[in-house]
Formats: sequence, structure tokens, C-alpha cells
Amino acid sequence: MNEADIDADATDRMLLQRMSAGDRAALAVLYRSYHGRLCRFLSRLTRRPDVIEEVINDCFWIAWQKAGTFHGDSRVSTWIIGIAYRCGLKALRQHGDEPVEEDMQEDRFPAHCPDEDRELRDWLAKGLSRLSADQRVVVELVYGLGHTLDDVAVIMQCPVGTVKARLFHARVKLRNTLPALAGEPPIRKESMS
Amino acid sequence: MTLPTDIGKDCARAWEAMPWSLQNSASHEQDEWLTQHLSQCEACRGEFEQQSRLRLAISLPSDIPVDADAGLRRLLARIDAPDTHAAHSRARTSWVTRALVAAVLVQAIGIGVLGARLWSENQADYRTLSQAAAPLPAGAIHVVPDDTMKLADWNSLLHTLHLQVVNGPNDVGAYTVVASGSSAMPRDTLQKLRTTHGIRLAEPVASAP
Ligand SMILES: [Zn+2]
Repeated sequence: MNEADIDADATDRMLLQRMSAGDRAALAVLYRSYHGRLCRFLSRLTRRPDVIEEVINDCFWIAWQKAGTFHGDSRVSTWIIGIAYRCGLKALRQHGDEPVEEDMQEDRFPAHCPDEDRELRDWLAKGLSRLSADQRVVVELVYGLGHTLDDVAVIMQCPVGTVKARLFHARVKLRNTLPALAGEPPIRKESMS
Repeated sequence: MTLPTDIGKDCARAWEAMPWSLQNSASHEQDEWLTQHLSQCEACRGEFEQQSRLRLAISLPSDIPVDADAGLRRLLARIDAPDTHAAHSRARTSWVTRALVAAVLVQAIGIGVLGARLWSENQADYRTLSQAAAPLPAGAIHVVPDDTMKLADWNSLLHTLHLQVVNGPNDVGAYTVVASGSSAMPRDTLQKLRTTHGIRLAEPVASAP
């Protein structure tokens, strides 16, 4: 956990504490601060905006009720994402499992989306479409949200070994599915490459 | 679990280390080692480039339109709405328990008068069981919380205003509250109660019990 994460977690804890005393303004702040992250995380489970909103609200409904029972065994973000994951699975059972790949090539990208992003999104969609829901979730948690193996195990309520296996298989599939970079330079390369 | 066959021990280690270096959670030594390996292994370099691209792609904001403000409004409405969830019925149970406890309390404490409709005569049934009714402390207030008010909010309100319930609810949901401890009721308490969200009515109890 770096310093920014520690600061963010301290803020989240303070907000939870205020929520446990019935403070709706604190709830609103926490809701907005997690909305983007949760939308993207849940988009790995379903493409339906109405279901995503429902799950986010179920998640914060529970966070609101249970704010006082959070004892800080994990980061607040791990706790909240874990609730969202369980709410997401429940919603999928209710609404039927809608695989991510169905309308991937359709015209759903906002018009303002830069071409470069669009190309990247298409590339990613192609890869994720071959993964199971659990594998997509692990990939999002590790590469998107930056969680450690231990965090992911807490969120998915499974042993670390299971997380490792899911990540491994996801990576092998992605490696076999995703086209090579076709001569183009990797976009905004990380410092280590 | 087997790694793709074309990679050796170092490559397996590099493969494992990549995600954590990418999310900056690897130690400095691990980073150094990986950089060193990548500089001499083309296969891992290719893999790492793909991993970097994966991280970049997955970090793009969601392309599904979900309105945060609208969602938050609906959540707050749900929190404030009655009868939406099990949590609410739990709260109700507690209120019922409270009512039963209050019924017992009535045996020991006289009931103030709050107008015929608000403070129903039904409660006289309990009073017949009491011995000599004790007088209410000066400044007692009858309070009717809204049906949707949560028990936690009610408790926190009582705590904030230093009040305790000595009676109620009667059959219209009115409670009798007095200053907690030996302190006298501050004059602005009534006004504060009246302006509290979730309090439908607050009236001073007429002095004669
Ligand atoms: Zn290698």
C-alpha cells in the first residue's frame, strides 16, 4: 500500500464512521468516489447499465446498514468491492448471466471516444470475451483496481491459490487470444519495458 | 498448473512478477530483477508489452453510461422510504419491543395529557394496574416520530438532545420524553425537536398528570 492508498483509506474510514451515525452526506461522498471504479468492475460481469446501477445501490445499501460493523481488517476499498462482487453475482443469478462478449462489436462506444481508446477497447474486449466471469473479475481486480492476491482472495472469498490459478489461466488465454502488437509501438509504455 | 513449454525457470519467475511490477506493488529488488531479465529475454519482453497494454486498456473508464447522480438520488430515496427492505422490518420489531417495554413503564409513571386524539384513553387500561402514579418531571414533551424514522436515528436524536423516553408509544405513536439525568430540559429542546427531520410532532406535556 503506498501513501496515496493509505490516505484514501483513512478518508474512507472516516466516511464510514460518519455513515454509521446516519450521515447521508458522508454516504454521498463515498458513493461518488467509488462510482467510477464500481461501474468498470461490474461491467466485467454485465453490460446492462440498469443492472450495474442496481448492484451499486445494493452494495451501498449494505454499506450504509453495516458501516458501524466495519472493523478495519481490510482496506475499506476491499470491503466495498467485496460487497459489490457478491451483489453482482446475486444480480446475475436474478437477471440471467449475460456474457460480456455478446454486443462487443456493436456501436456502443460514445462518439467522443478517441480512436486510440476505441482500438484499445476492442482489443481488450476480444481478449476478455474468452474468459470466464471469474477470470474477468480477477483480471479487473489485479490490472484495473490494483489489488494484491490477498485482497482478491478476500473479495472473492476464496483461497489465494484459487486466485493464482484464475489469474494464471486468464493470462494464458489472453496471451493466446490477443493479437500481437502488430508492429505498433506499445502505447504509453511503462518505464520497465 | 504448467507454464507454456517454451519458457525456463527465470521466465516463469518473470511471468509471475509482471502484474505486481505493473501495479507498483513489487519490491524494488523484484523490479530490478525483472528489468534485468527483460533486457535479455525477448519472449518476456513481448509478454510484458502485452501486459502493459492490458493494464492500460483495462484502466480506461467504463464505456457503459451509468449516471452517478441519478443512482445516488434513488439510493437516498430507498434509504428514506418505508417498507423497502428487511432491515426496515428489523427496525419495526425493535419498535414493537419498545412499545411492550413502554407498556410496562406506564404502570409506574403517570401519563401526561396531550389532547384527546393524540394521547388515547386506551392506555388507561395499563394505568389501572399501577399504584400511585408518579408525576412527570417538569418540561416533559410528547414526541411523535415519523413512521419511517429509523431507530438508530431516533436513538441518536435522543442522545444529542440529552433526552430519555419515559413513556410510549401510545397507539398513535407518541412518546413522552424528559431530560436525561438530573438536568433540566433546555428551553430550545422543543424547538429543536420540531425542526428535526423525521419528527412529526412535538408538544409540551400539560403540567397536571
Ligand atoms: Zn524470459
